[in-house]
Amino acid sequence: MADLVDSMLDLMRRLPPTRVEENVAALVGICPDYADDLLGSVDQPLQILTDRATGKEYLACDYNRDGESYRSPWSNEYDPPLDDGTTPTPKLRKLEITANEAFDTYREMYYEGGVSSVYLWDLDDGGFAGVVLFKKVMNPSTTDEPSGSWDSIHVFEASERGRQAHYKLTSTIMLQLVTRHNGDSENKEDALPIGSSGKKPANEGWKKDGEVNLSGSMTRQTEQDCPLHEASSHITNTGKMIEEMEIKMRNLLQEVYFGKTRDIVYDLRSVDDLDKARRQRELQKELVGFIKR
Amino acid sequence: MDSTERIQAASSFLLQSPPGEINDVLNDVRTIISDDDLLQEGVLPALREYNIAQFITVDVPGTDHQSIVSEAARIAGEEEDEERFVDPRSKTSFRFDHLTLEASDPQEVEPNEDTEPLRAALETSALTYLSSHYHGGVSAVFATPESNQFTVQIVANKYNPSNFWAGRWRSEYIINLDSHTITGKVLVNVHYYEQGNVQLSTSHDLSLSLPAAVVTSAPPASASKIFALIESEETKYQTSLNDSYHEMGEKTFKGLRRALPMTRQKLDWDKVLGYKLGAELAASKGVFGNA
Repeated sequence: MADLVDSMLDLMRRLPPTRVEENVAALVGICPDYADDLLGSVDQPLQILTDRATGKEYLACDYNRDGESYRSPWSNEYDPPLDDGTTPTPKLRKLEITANEAFDTYREMYYEGGVSSVYLWDLDDGGFAGVVLFKKVMNPSTTDEPSGSWDSIHVFEASERGRQAHYKLTSTIMLQLVTRHNGDSENKEDALPIGSSGKKPANEGWKKDGEVNLSGSMTRQTEQDCPLHEASSHITNTGKMIEEMEIKMRNLLQEVYFGKTRDIVYDLRSVDDLDKARRQRELQKELVGFIKR
Repeated sequence: MDSTERIQAASSFLLQSPPGEINDVLNDVRTIISDDDLLQEGVLPALREYNIAQFITVDVPGTDHQSIVSEAARIAGEEEDEERFVDPRSKTSFRFDHLTLEASDPQEVEPNEDTEPLRAALETSALTYLSSHYHGGVSAVFATPESNQFTVQIVANKYNPSNFWAGRWRSEYIINLDSHTITGKVLVNVHYYEQGNVQLSTSHDLSLSLPAAVVTSAPPASASKIFALIESEETKYQTSLNDSYHEMGEKTFKGLRRALPMTRQKLDWDKVLGYKLGAELAASKGVFGNA
């Protein structure tokens, strides 16, 4: 039933990103047999949980879930506790601990806040895979300031080939930006109550409310071979790849969010008078024709 | 899930369709529900609700213009299974198929003679305004004589599936001559979906008071003054959208993630691994980068 999963994924690519959780839940309800396919392929906003042992925050996603429990990268414990929860082999766990420390540094340097988590697991073919997660939420200090959230999900597969390692990276960034305006607090002097005989001209707006919501996700993939000196080379290799990817995708997001969507609004409505511009162009054409003659 | 819940879920998906993508969503939903008989009957109310809410445009039979299918265009008192909509511009009413989006069975409609002069004047001004500020927009002006109100609706759509984007601008203004007010609503939706799914969704409500002079003028003068107000409000709104963009870009986007660390250099990963976190890290900022 590849068709069915394709249709579910196509649907998720079209429906509002702000309602992804609700829509995924509805799809799982309709097709419970395909829940795993769907949950494994649709990125949802990361949840922030607190490690009971260390008090440190970590991120929950499908990759550190076992049943209803989530594993913390800091203590390696499941919450709610599981006796037989899946954990990485001791060798991989050692790498996971180092990776969490390294990407926590990266998080502080680029995000100056937020939460990071890295989860690793063994693959059947002898290699291993991992996910590197970052999340930062900004809450406005006043109601008129924009709020926002950023979720990065980097899933990679690593296979060793002698002194080389091959990496396949799939990165998704979810970005949400919201601005709310309401006339009352926006501009108190402008707000004119109904029936008041204020000094403002009568045609001045006396009430305005609004919201601007820009949200979504973008996904990109890349593959790369890197030298492998020791086990920790995996961290420097994936670290560089993820850093490159985030820099590239941040530029892309900037272009799409602030360039592309804005251009489309201007493709619908023009601030300038189009008739005037048309008349000017015609006049110009006439003049050019006149000069040529 | 029983069939009622499945139809509910399918209807909710349809109502969330981005501009111009209702057929794509419907195709997906058909594969997912895989019960065409159930769907055909069940989702018609959702399609109707979507079309009316989204100001779907329709070719009016016997004319060369388009009109808007909306709540204001619905002829009150009609049974739902023989529901009709009106195009005041051609004074035609028609039935509307919410699946094929086609109008049929055109009939002539007699306009109210008291409100028609101002309604027609508003329509003329609306068309002028549309050609000045919209790329391929459609508008309709409806009169509600019982409440001394006029409703102006504008919709502009741009669908560009080969470049993975679509956009819709909707405006509605209710002009009330009793309370001397205009209450308006502007809604903009943009979908960009090349290797991703990014959506802009904005809503903007406004209320204006109408100067007495506007209400008492002759219809053409009154209409052009009303549209001068609408033009100024919409241009102000579009400009304020720019400000929101700027603010979200400068404050929020930059605040969420820096383009580069404070050091203005990428991380030196070998050194990141060599150092432990915590105070040690904070005390040795020079570690990062090669400088």
